Amino acid sequence: MEVHDAYTNMSIDEAILESIRDNKAEPTMRLYRWKPSAVSIGTFQSMEKEVNVKRCKELGVDYIRRITGGGAVYHDYEGEVTYSVIAPLEYFPQGIHESYRLICGWVIDGLKRLGIEASFVPINDIVVDGKKISGNAQTRKQGVLLQHGTILYGVDARKMFSVLKVSNAKISDKMIKSVEERVTSVSSYSKASITELYEALLKGFTKGKDFKLGELSGDESSRAAELAETVYSTRDWNFSR
Amino acid sequence: MDSFAEQKVPGGKLVGVKLSYGRKIKSIQILGDFFLIPEETVFKIEKALVGTSVRASNDEIVGKINKVIAMSGAEMLGITPEAIAETIKLAIHPPEAKI
Repeated sequence: MEVHDAYTNMSIDEAILESIRDNKAEPTMRLYRWKPSAVSIGTFQSMEKEVNVKRCKELGVDYIRRITGGGAVYHDYEGEVTYSVIAPLEYFPQGIHESYRLICGWVIDGLKRLGIEASFVPINDIVVDGKKISGNAQTRKQGVLLQHGTILYGVDARKMFSVLKVSNAKISDKMIKSVEERVTSVSSYSKASITELYEALLKGFTKGKDFKLGELSGDESSRAAELAETVYSTRDWNFSR
Repeated sequence: MDSFAEQKVPGGKLVGVKLSYGRKIKSIQILGDFFLIPEETVFKIEKALVGTSVRASNDEIVGKINKVIAMSGAEMLGITPEAIAETIKLAIHPPEAKI
């Protein structure tokens, strides 16, 4: 499982998208973690409205805008695994809902290998016992589909709501309980380690597919480094809304 | 005048608008956790709405948004053009201002 900072993680996804667009790479799936922990916001969200930037700086938590829509996600290094699937559009159903259902099915398959019965709830959620365990976000650019998503391994609601912008008055025990009633994680249903979650997801994503474990090409690595420096780490991008 | 309003679309996502306006909309940003593919369509929608009279009907605003979506071949998920129009009206006429 890869581990990178926020800027590198988002840059790698986009560099692979470009590489596939240019027929220089095979369809790719990544499983990764974020170090340092980070908050990512949807491409249409306001950083200032969604993220307590001051608290992020105090805690050493990165903050970044994604190229995909959807909501703010706290990617805790110890408590979350992210995936991305990047491939030409022709590999997927034409409809956005159907392609969400297909890819989320791979996450559900992975969770099932840990004994967790999850289901897909449109538009972009995966739930267990009615509680969200995974959020997913898809974009389609230049003939390529990119979907990334988060799978919660453990939930630290207090930390999550110290970096996501909720007023102090709302960070009450009542609020946290309410979050815990709506959100769940792998560790609530399984004793699997985060590495075992990775292995289960890897099997879920690759089931029935020819695949090989690989690394970024030299071009992808250098393009990712360029994107991290010129886009994803910049204030112009992250605070554009 | 600057204003902001947001609302949750029932069964859908959050949509917000950040507005600067006089008699017409001077600038607008559409915010939220919705999906719009291709994402660049949001800039075209915002551009199309600049210059719209603050007295414009919801139908007029919806018409402008739908025109951009159609021309861009875009797909909007989690919110609707109607919800954007309602949120614009909410920003211009916040509930507290109603008599």
